[in-house]
Amino acid sequence: MPVSARVRALAAAALDHARRDPAVEYAEVRWVDERSERLRIRDGAPDGIAQNTSSGFGVRVLAGGAWGFACTPIVDEGALVRAIDAATAIARASARVAKIKAQLLPAEAQRGCYTTPLGVDPFSVALEQKLADLERAEAELRRGGGAIKSAEAAMSWTEVHKLLLTSEGTDVEQHFVYGGAGMQAHAIGDDGSAQRRSFPGTPGTEALQGGYEIVERVSLAEHAPRIRDEAIELLQAAPCPDGLRDVILGSNQMALQIHESCGHPSELDRALGTEISLAGGSFLQPEQLGKLRYGSPIVTLTADATSEAGLGTFGWDDEATPARKTALVEEGVFVDYLSSRETAAALGRRSTGTVRASSWNRLPMIRMVNVSLEPRDGTLDELVADTADGVLFDVNKSWSIDDLRLNFQFSCEVAWEIKHGKRVRLLRDARYTGMTPEFWRGCDAICGPNEARIWGIDNCGKGDPMQTMQVAHRAPPARFRKVEVGHS
Amino acid sequence: MNEAELLLALKSALARAGEPEADLYAQLSRRGFARFAVGRLDQHMALEEPQALARVARGRRVAEVATTDLSEAALLAAIQAAAKLAPRVPEDPSFTGFAALDQPPAAATAPRFAAATASCDAERRVDLLAPALEAVTSAGLVPTGALDTALTVQAVATTHGLARAHTGTSAVFKIWALESAGAGGAAGHGHDAGIDVERLDIESETRRAIDDALRSRQPIALPAGEYDTVLEAPALSELVEWLGMIGFGAREFQQGSSPLSERLGQRISGSALDVVEDPFGPHGFASPFDRDGVTRQRVTLIERGVARGVLCDRAWAPRIGRNSTGNASPAGSFSEGGPVPATLVVSGGSAESTDELVRGVERGLFVRRLHYVNGMLEPRRAVMTGLTRDGTFLIENGKLTHPVRNLRFTDSLLEAFERVDAVTRAQRVVPNWWLESGVTVAPAVRIRRFRFSSGSQRAPDPS
Repeated sequence: MPVSARVRALAAAALDHARRDPAVEYAEVRWVDERSERLRIRDGAPDGIAQNTSSGFGVRVLAGGAWGFACTPIVDEGALVRAIDAATAIARASARVAKIKAQLLPAEAQRGCYTTPLGVDPFSVALEQKLADLERAEAELRRGGGAIKSAEAAMSWTEVHKLLLTSEGTDVEQHFVYGGAGMQAHAIGDDGSAQRRSFPGTPGTEALQGGYEIVERVSLAEHAPRIRDEAIELLQAAPCPDGLRDVILGSNQMALQIHESCGHPSELDRALGTEISLAGGSFLQPEQLGKLRYGSPIVTLTADATSEAGLGTFGWDDEATPARKTALVEEGVFVDYLSSRETAAALGRRSTGTVRASSWNRLPMIRMVNVSLEPRDGTLDELVADTADGVLFDVNKSWSIDDLRLNFQFSCEVAWEIKHGKRVRLLRDARYTGMTPEFWRGCDAICGPNEARIWGIDNCGKGDPMQTMQVAHRAPPARFRKVEVGHS
Repeated sequence: MNEAELLLALKSALARAGEPEADLYAQLSRRGFARFAVGRLDQHMALEEPQALARVARGRRVAEVATTDLSEAALLAAIQAAAKLAPRVPEDPSFTGFAALDQPPAAATAPRFAAATASCDAERRVDLLAPALEAVTSAGLVPTGALDTALTVQAVATTHGLARAHTGTSAVFKIWALESAGAGGAAGHGHDAGIDVERLDIESETRRAIDDALRSRQPIALPAGEYDTVLEAPALSELVEWLGMIGFGAREFQQGSSPLSERLGQRISGSALDVVEDPFGPHGFASPFDRDGVTRQRVTLIERGVARGVLCDRAWAPRIGRNSTGNASPAGSFSEGGPVPATLVVSGGSAESTDELVRGVERGLFVRRLHYVNGMLEPRRAVMTGLTRDGTFLIENGKLTHPVRNLRFTDSLLEAFERVDAVTRAQRVVPNWWLESGVTVAPAVRIRRFRFSSGSQRAPDPS
């Protein structure tokens, strides 16, 4: 269902309407047409077999030095003109209290299309096959009963068609398909204690751009016996001892670590103070660009909207800035932000092209793309073998970080104590805590490309009202020296 | 589209579809959302939030199709799509049919609609906010926050003749007064919420934010440790909201991860912890029914520390052998969640004021708000972690003496309530952080030996 000629004509007419108002400095019309499918099997029965469609226009207007945003789900000229007028009226009203005028750096008009490379179109796969794949895995998790009190396997697919027309002459059309599958087992001990194990990672991290080949690669049923056994084994595991230890983060937990301690603090709107009303500011301030030692010299973190399969991959962002790869931290030094055309202009820089809206009825804002840790060399096994006394953490269970993204505390579903280069025992309720730059400065080993899996996060929250966005992280396992660990 | 028109569209679509077992829920919110930061209204929006959910059952096979198109033709198409899907999905042995006409009427509910909120436009929002922005700026601080005004129409109809509709409004104001725009430093916060935007106390709450920010300058650092702590209502409400997410729903109860699992009737916390789901009071915005069409109920969840009740919807109630309490996930959650609370109320105590709580502390902490709480560490014990925010002060000899840099706590909420020795009579309504459509109503409490696991926040050394 590519964007129809009617939708395109309506969007163009609405833009013409906006241009006729001399007060309008910039206008954009965005059409988003989304369909999705969610399937979940829990404890042998369906728990939500649902399909969803959502479509509409979002319009953003800059007038009198202030922004206005309005939207409509109704596909006709009158509704769209009313949305343009409403956005313009909002901009005019807001301009009354604007002490600083919004400015958008001029940009070249963009034209073109982007399409997710697809193996097997997930919407062409029979529902029965999808459900059978989930049922097999879920049944395997529950096999033998015992301590497994509840199990679930779930799958989701989304297809999005997006059209962006701007008063600068941009006309870009994009088509995204993404999704994945995962599972969880909940084990309950005789003493009432509870443990959860998820696969392939924390729920919500399994999604990628692409087709049903993603599910085939994940092979839920094949891994279900191990996940079930680990959930049960965790009930008897020792709690993670308190102390300062060398910590290795597995790939899935590394994705969360990158997300919270690099992705969010490098959002320039947050650093400039426009995100306080939901999630806070940032310790990465503009005067520290090129100066702050964020991590050790082996740490390079990038924002890459061009990498294959990531949920943060696109042709253009929602301000029509072409996708690009930007170093945020280069050899340990903080060098750039995730930015928009407006925020970048405030620093005299160019946009790094990271603006997206979660839906047609939400305002575009700075979001992570694929924010990743550049791999170095070696395998996870080699890293464990090189560690005399440490703890390997993986698969996030809880996450909390302060309003500047400095003090974090994360706990994981699984952890293994490492002694003399070997995993010696499973640990439960393990958590680690630290201060972001000190933690990354303690990074002394990063595994190679073969260990650097890309994880999606399909529920990244930002904005007010909250916008849930799809982002991704390529995450090699890595080691960090002398980290405070313990158990909840 | 008003509630009568929406209900008519639902009933008409259901009648035309001719399905024997189906239900149709729809909701349309029109929101004016004025978000301001760094001295300007940079995110001012008119938002349309339509959502319709059609469910069709064939025997015990149930499928759901959602759409943002609320036209009758689209509603009919959604029912037909669900009907095509239903025969292909596995049976749900716990399915008992969609809601019937026998729903009890809702208890007398406080008013849920204010015309002033429904008609509030961009100019009016700016009029209301302009003095607040000016007051914060004049104090040498940076204003940040939002004013959200919403009109929401909901309707539900089933093939068993149930048909009901509701119109409500909500208005939420929140403001921060900041020493720096995004780099941390002193901060103060104020908020108010209700159905009528013209009754929000924007002036007093702005003053509160300014006062807290001004007296939070030059904070001292404190080490990790146990501190007798006064948690103001906004701080406690965030912990209780998390308790609602990990503990009160039938899904978590059934899977064994809830603190209430297998413990109904048993003492799980201190006697100061008294929590009810109360959708009918003057606080909050809850509609009389949930998306199943089931009348909401007042449910005692924890009574003087004893686990008493669980929140259910129609899907989960049979799985744990109970009846629905009218707590189906709100529309838009897209079947992701189990039952959720709409309005959690923590009972007040006998203390006259937070000052009285402070007077009973020799050396401890006063905490206005919390940041980024997470309750997934050990849900069975309700172990939570998070940080203080927007006003943390040292208490010495019954008085606030110094602002304190933010600290991280990690403690079990249930165990901490064993150490609560005073609760204010007064409660405050606090809009939820995660459960966007709901509120939590909480008093301030004094907790002895609350556990702070990390010392005060500090700026990074640049090298």
